Amino acid sequence: MRGTSIAISIMTAGLLAGCNTHQSTLAPFGADAADIRHLFIIMLVGAVVIAGGVAMLMRHAVRAPEGAIDHHRGMRIVLWLGGVIPTTVLLGLLAYSLPYMKPRPVSPTDLTIAVDGEQFWWRVAYQPTGRPAVSSANEIRIPTGRTVAFQLSAGDVVHSFWIPGLAGKMDMIPGRTNTLVVRADKPGRYRGQCAEFCGLSHALMAFDVIAMPPAAFDAWLANEARPARSSDRTGARLFAENGCGGCHTVAGVTAPSRIGPDLTHFGARRTLAAGILPMTPANVAAFIRHPEKTKPGVRMPSFPQLSDDEARALARYLQGLK
Amino acid sequence: MSLHAQDDPALRAAQEERLRAVWKPPSGLFLRWTDTNNNRVGVWYTLTAFGFMLFAGVLALIMRTQLAVPDNDLVSANTFNQLFTLHGSMMMFLFAVPMFEAVSIILLPQLLGARDLPFPRLSAFGYWSFLLGGVFVGGSIFFNAAPDGGWFMYPPLTTRTDLSGLGADIWMLGLSFIEVSSVAAAVELIVGVLKCRPPGMRLNLMPLYAWYILVVAVMILFAFPPLIAGDLLFEMERLLNWPFFDAARGGDPLLWQHLFWIFGHPEVYIVFLPSIALFAMMIPTFAQRHLLGYPWIVLAAVGTAFLSFGLWVHHMFATGLPKISLAFFSAASEAVAIPTGVQIFAFIATLWAGKVKWSTPLLYASGSLAIFVIGGLTGVMVAVAPFDWQAHDTYFIVAHLHYVLIGGTLLPLFGGLYYYWPLITGKKLSDRLGRIAFWIMFVGVNLTFFPMHLSGLEGMPRRVFTYPAELNIGWLNLASTLGSYMFAVGVLVLVVDLALSPTRPKSPRNPWNAGTLEWLAHPDDEDWGIRSVPLVESRYPIWDQKNFVAKVDEGRFFLPDAEEGRRETIITSVLDAKPVSVIRLGTPSVKPMLTAIALGSVFILTTYHLYIMAALGGVVTLACILWWLWDTAEIPEKPEKPIGHGMKLPLYISGPAAPGWWAMFITMMADATAFSGLVFGYYFYWTVHPDFGAGFDGPGSTGPMMALALSLASWAATLAAREMHGWGSVTAARALLIAGAATAIASLFAGLACLDGLDPTANVYPAIIWVLVVWTVAHAAVAAIMQFYTLARSIAGRMKPTHDADIRNITVYAHFFALTAIVTYLTVGLFPETGL
Amino acid sequence: MRRWLKRAHRLRVTLWTLIVPPTAWAVHFLFSYLWAAISCEKIGEWALFPTAFAIGTVIALVVIVMSGVIAWQQSRTPGDPPPHNEGTDIDRLRFLAYSTMLLAALSFVAVIFTALPVLMLNDCR
Repeated sequence: MRGTSIAISIMTAGLLAGCNTHQSTLAPFGADAADIRHLFIIMLVGAVVIAGGVAMLMRHAVRAPEGAIDHHRGMRIVLWLGGVIPTTVLLGLLAYSLPYMKPRPVSPTDLTIAVDGEQFWWRVAYQPTGRPAVSSANEIRIPTGRTVAFQLSAGDVVHSFWIPGLAGKMDMIPGRTNTLVVRADKPGRYRGQCAEFCGLSHALMAFDVIAMPPAAFDAWLANEARPARSSDRTGARLFAENGCGGCHTVAGVTAPSRIGPDLTHFGARRTLAAGILPMTPANVAAFIRHPEKTKPGVRMPSFPQLSDDEARALARYLQGLK
Repeated sequence: MSLHAQDDPALRAAQEERLRAVWKPPSGLFLRWTDTNNNRVGVWYTLTAFGFMLFAGVLALIMRTQLAVPDNDLVSANTFNQLFTLHGSMMMFLFAVPMFEAVSIILLPQLLGARDLPFPRLSAFGYWSFLLGGVFVGGSIFFNAAPDGGWFMYPPLTTRTDLSGLGADIWMLGLSFIEVSSVAAAVELIVGVLKCRPPGMRLNLMPLYAWYILVVAVMILFAFPPLIAGDLLFEMERLLNWPFFDAARGGDPLLWQHLFWIFGHPEVYIVFLPSIALFAMMIPTFAQRHLLGYPWIVLAAVGTAFLSFGLWVHHMFATGLPKISLAFFSAASEAVAIPTGVQIFAFIATLWAGKVKWSTPLLYASGSLAIFVIGGLTGVMVAVAPFDWQAHDTYFIVAHLHYVLIGGTLLPLFGGLYYYWPLITGKKLSDRLGRIAFWIMFVGVNLTFFPMHLSGLEGMPRRVFTYPAELNIGWLNLASTLGSYMFAVGVLVLVVDLALSPTRPKSPRNPWNAGTLEWLAHPDDEDWGIRSVPLVESRYPIWDQKNFVAKVDEGRFFLPDAEEGRRETIITSVLDAKPVSVIRLGTPSVKPMLTAIALGSVFILTTYHLYIMAALGGVVTLACILWWLWDTAEIPEKPEKPIGHGMKLPLYISGPAAPGWWAMFITMMADATAFSGLVFGYYFYWTVHPDFGAGFDGPGSTGPMMALALSLASWAATLAAREMHGWGSVTAARALLIAGAATAIASLFAGLACLDGLDPTANVYPAIIWVLVVWTVAHAAVAAIMQFYTLARSIAGRMKPTHDADIRNITVYAHFFALTAIVTYLTVGLFPETGL
Repeated sequence: MRRWLKRAHRLRVTLWTLIVPPTAWAVHFLFSYLWAAISCEKIGEWALFPTAFAIGTVIALVVIVMSGVIAWQQSRTPGDPPPHNEGTDIDRLRFLAYSTMLLAALSFVAVIFTALPVLMLNDCR
């Protein structure tokens, strides 16, 4: 039993200290995740009490002398401790937890964000009511205090959309659109990750989540709707020469393409390769030349023929797209 | 022969000589492997399953080493994906289920005072299928071709041939082959428990292990076939490009999830209940009293079995199904904790009321209960759907599943090993090594899996080959890795203990002073199973019945002899175990092994797209089966024989009292369930598509009705043949059998004609029609083969109006075939064209 | 009523009658789930006052209660004192009947569990 005590101590310490605050169900920044954490703590307390009780009972039963209880009393123990009490507790738990399943109401004016899972990146499209859609990829920004409805699907295989601090997960299934309705309460930078095995780089499919006060979000969305302009001319030329626009849309520069992530405001993101690498010139350059080294199974072809200078020029161009 | 005749030691010695001679195992380098005796086949089965477990465990150690630190690169993503897929698949399909089958093959006849299981050759066939399939699937990793889509293999990732390679086919086909052997084991165990009990062992006196095994075997019948149906659809998509899970052509990945989890959830109870059954045998021994609450345990087993079929969507809580649907499954998932808990308290109450004798098996039992209760509690947590929306597909679930599987399946098995080792080998294992192994494993398990609850909640999803340092879960993962090594060391100590066993002295008979029949086994290890089949009057005959052991040993009960030189056991009635007949059991033979190899070749060759050779393999399999069947249902040399105490029993029975009839019925229940899985697919597609079938031609109504009429004609002819034959009109019966075969073949062609003009690669509507019709016409072909076989038996004189088992058994098949034809042709011919 | 209960004694108890209560639960569960699934997909909503569902639940509960009461009567067949673990016809009957009664109690609870969500949730989303 000592191993269990050690383990419980680790767990309690972990619960109290927390491991991280940006991808944890125990550090919620959204209303639904906060509700679920509340539910979890209640169940955890109950579970610890029951586990302790059963362990003590077992110990007592083993040590009791012969005939300490007779057949009749034994049957009563089975009936009450095995039947009646668990039934009552579980019925209570069910009744208590069912309201948590009520979906959050959505009004027509609430912001809709369509997210499609791809191997191994996220296609994002903000759909503000009455205005044209705004495309992006691999980063999601949401306003705090407002209801947001995610419309989730997938292009190739089953993925799952999970932002632990915001709400429970929702699978992204080809041929279906699933809705996840959330409300962020605390602004900040967070992280989400794919939670359904989707192939070689499943572990490397994540995304940044930024919750912003409503006014800041509206301003950001307005800017996001506009094309970006990057100053680096060498990079722009290399971008066109190497056919990057065939897969990647840069609004105002290329024709729209749905094959790869939208790079219109790439430079304003904190990470690249779907939440995996910090946004630095060296990382961008290395990824362009050999994406498969970062993400096995990636769909983007490699460009080993680019020289180091050319790759860096492209990186400067892309990082200028803010 | 009367009781007193057995007083004569010379008679007893002569009987023992005859028994020894008839139960002698085959010898020789090759021939020894043709044995069918349950004590030998069971041992091979156990060792093979144990070996697969150790192999799958090593795969896990490699995974844990990779995950010990963040951003590690010990193994590539590709290798890691094969590791976790194979670890899960091997543990579930090549260890957990086969292990309980193996243990039951050894234990059940002993528990029931029988000489062997009712179909010894079927057990042998099951073993060879298991070995072949297991080596095929497990060995694939050495060729970098292991399945890599997770043990649940979700499409479309796994059905797209550009995204998943040969591994997916190896998984599907290799495991389908093994599932066949699991269903065969289920047949064996159900018939064994219901019909092969000793006289007097009424249902209320049956050992609880037998109750649990009966329940689990019935669960297998209803749980495995939906997966087989899913496997069929899956392989049709991969090999022939039929679009069952391709959304672009009307398919839906969720159908696979439904079919898989309709199997997958009962599966975990299938592996849990038999281990708890071991508890039910151990606890009374170490409390030195009857188990308290016997009917409550029966309630727990049957109740858990039923409820477990209503939980499957709890694996799909995050798929976006309607909340009301999810709520039903959340409610049922919580309810199932009730019967699960009832049995635990029955065990506790028994210990409380008894005089506890501490021992190594009891230590394992207590430790496993503690671990299982933790797993059960986290199980209730994830039954609550909103919490599962966070915990699903994270390491929290990995923690939960390992707690219940290790506490509920693995450690009880190890405890059972310590308990039953003297029964199988005549020697006790070392208490010292056993306790050391236990404590190392116990601490190791908790150190490995407890931190995973936290790492999951802190954002670590499942099936990831690495994780970033920024999550700060490296320390938790390191603890898990160290724990896993510790657990492995504990298992190693156990293995050392097992390996040292040959060096130890023999233990006394029944060393734990247990009360149930299996402990009649003598350390001197005779092959005949039990010296004489006892009359049972108590749940614990060794404790309660006077001079019981001596009476059995001196042959004072039933069947103490083998006068005709045949292997025999007694068939009894289901409720009250009244003796009904004596059956002659299958003897060692090469047929089970050859049939397994032939059937295996069908699956393995198909994996490599060698279809013509696979078809030839199918023909060879059919030939082997017919050759095997030819010597069964043998007409005995005399109508009855005495079994002792003035009782005479028939040597041949047919119809619902006979094991062969039951075997056919049970197999067809499994077949019908698989068919239901396919039908479910049809109606599922109708449900999820507002315009199911629009724009694609159906088969019309006329064609299907023709095919249905011909199928029903075949069924009617078979029925009439059975009746005519029973009245003695053998020629009329033979003519009807020919008519039955002819109409079956005609229905086959009529069915195939319905498919004319339907392109199964175009859309899921024609594809599912193709599957239903092909399934039905394949069954029509089998019906025709059965009718020709029965005709041959009649002509060869192996079936007579007084000995008509063959025709009665194929009539059972005919009923199920008729039902299949009705459902298929009415569905494809009339629905949804009636405008729904 | 008493005469009807007395007649219950003459009804047979077998392994098939043992599984009547959980089968009633299974049928009710399947009916509930299938109806909700088809209703949500085809109609887009689950009935606001699901009368049919209520009737189906009542029928399931009645079947379960009846089989439980019959089983309870049969389990009280006069015979030997508890624990009823002798190898006699009466004890075998009592055992099967008692187990059937326990299963009826569990099945009753399980049907209530299934019905509870309908009282609190009726969302197709």
